[in-house]
Amino acid sequence: MEADSFPQQAVQDIGQIDSADLVVGIVADLSQEDVAEVCGGLRTLPGNPRIVVLQNRLASDATPIGSAVPAQDASLSLVPWSLQNQSPPTTPVEGMLAAYQSILTIGKRLGVRGCCVIASKLEHAPSKWVCQLTEPLLEASCDFVAPSYARRKFDGLLNSGIISPLMRSLYGLRIQNPMGPDLGISQRLYQKLLDGEQNGKTGGSAMHLLASLVPLVLCGNLEVSQAYLGARNYSPSDWTTVSSLLSEILGPIFLAMERNAACWQRTRTSSPVKTLNEPVSAPQTTGTVEIDRLVHSFQLGIRDLQEIWGLVLPPASLLELRKLARVPTERFHIPDELWVRIVYDFALAHRLRTINRDHLLRSLTPLYLGWVASYARELETAEENAVEHRLERLSLAYETGKPYLVSRWRWPDRFNP
Amino acid sequence: MWGQVKQALYQSTTRFVTRLAGLVPGFVALFLALLISLLLAWIVGMVVRRLLSSMRFDERVSRWGLSSLAEWSPQNSPTLLVSGTIACAIVVAGFLIGIAAFNSDLTSSLVRSIVAYVPNVVGAIVILAVGAIVARYVARSVLIGAVNLNLGYARLLSVGTRWLVMVLTIAMALVHLRIAVGIVELAFGILFGGIVFALALAVGLGSKELVTKSLERDAKRTPADTIEEPLRHL
Repeated sequence: MEADSFPQQAVQDIGQIDSADLVVGIVADLSQEDVAEVCGGLRTLPGNPRIVVLQNRLASDATPIGSAVPAQDASLSLVPWSLQNQSPPTTPVEGMLAAYQSILTIGKRLGVRGCCVIASKLEHAPSKWVCQLTEPLLEASCDFVAPSYARRKFDGLLNSGIISPLMRSLYGLRIQNPMGPDLGISQRLYQKLLDGEQNGKTGGSAMHLLASLVPLVLCGNLEVSQAYLGARNYSPSDWTTVSSLLSEILGPIFLAMERNAACWQRTRTSSPVKTLNEPVSAPQTTGTVEIDRLVHSFQLGIRDLQEIWGLVLPPASLLELRKLARVPTERFHIPDELWVRIVYDFALAHRLRTINRDHLLRSLTPLYLGWVASYARELETAEENAVEHRLERLSLAYETGKPYLVSRWRWPDRFNP
Repeated sequence: MWGQVKQALYQSTTRFVTRLAGLVPGFVALFLALLISLLLAWIVGMVVRRLLSSMRFDERVSRWGLSSLAEWSPQNSPTLLVSGTIACAIVVAGFLIGIAAFNSDLTSSLVRSIVAYVPNVVGAIVILAVGAIVARYVARSVLIGAVNLNLGYARLLSVGTRWLVMVLTIAMALVHLRIAVGIVELAFGILFGGIVFALALAVGLGSKELVTKSLERDAKRTPADTIEEPLRHL
């Protein structure tokens, strides 16, 4: 990302700052009070580091900057910065993620020791958890501080069902949210990320940048830790955009798999990462999941997309899926082993370019919704701690299935479906 | 009188034999050209076949989504189709060279018109190939998109879209080949319009029930039903 993509005012403000120790980018739409709390929290960091806070402000927001924030001083500069002023993103996710690139680029320009991105609205006071994300970067020579949110059974399903267990099985790091969105990154890591981006190794887009975080940490022998931040407010999901989400998120992850194949094939087991504080529990969400609709989507996929899935999945998996489509809705359940093999087969088809990559990832939607239906049915009436056990079981299934992925990855022809 | 008849017969026989003898080099040249082109076609065909086999061309073609090409190929092998087409092209070129060796106005103009038509044929083949690829891509996009939107008639939409693109492609290829342009334009208009009309009817009639059900569901929905679904994907 070049300097000319920043708003002119932000460029001028940053130009007046010689150097800093930490850049904190607030991508989430936080209120002035929350921003004041973030700044207050950052002022309590040990060692009195010089901090630049980039505050995302909506174009419509007329509140004067810093009105709710205590007076700026030599140790903290608050720079207003509007995402809307940047080049129009192709999708909302892309638009938000473009901010990550900007923050890292500003961090590199100022030569900071760490960058932190606040992309969520959390239920806890931000002053506390912003320190948990930033302190290890400055004090404990940690390279990547990943967030861990209080588990709610139906929150972050894409992360729970695919991203987190897949990354854990591939790279051997038990990180609850390997792609953030709230995160802390050290100088070593952001330089690697930005260098990789310049060399085209991370793929160019911001999503590729996030998908490259864990591979870079593992392959570069960097330090990683996890901070419990409390409950996160997830934005409501629109089921019609699930296929776009899958395409946007899984594409970069599968691409990172391809680039780091030598590295993840050497990893055999997973290990927990250092945690910085105690987990926080949150009240479970209420509401009824329309499982019938999810199963109907799966059945529709079985009826109409078999021609495409036949190019990707081996006959045994297809047969199991066909059997599942005939099962009554109340007994519908996709076994973890089958789900894991499906994800691995799609990753392989992505690598082999069996069909157009966008088509491939979008055609996973009915299968993903089928998995969500199974998961929702299992956990509908479950206790809070059952979620953790259920997801641990899924992660273990991913790890157990890894030899299947490695075999297919190395000798795709022998396993040709 | 008899002498004159004899002389006329002699002269006509001489003319005929002379003209026939004049054709012999042409026939020999045609025979030789065919022989050489057949030999060349066999060698080139074999080389191309081996080259494509070593490149696993058949697998690549099916991976590129051109499996219909295999259906049209001898023994379901696109490699054989490509090598055979190249061999045939060499034989046809040899035949045209042989025909041109007759050096008569008729054969020369025949060769000229055939050679002039070759770019049209190549253009039509390219149009058909590109059309088939585009049709497959668009049909797949429509199918996946419609399934993800939970549309029960996704396959119908996809097949309809593929045929629309294919009909357009075939019409373009025929116009490019200058074959019954007027009829093609008329037939294309009728066929294209017919497919669109049929699709509109099918989708309209098919979704009538869907819309009714949806409206009924909305009408019956109690405030408790409108509770937001708790699923959060990202």
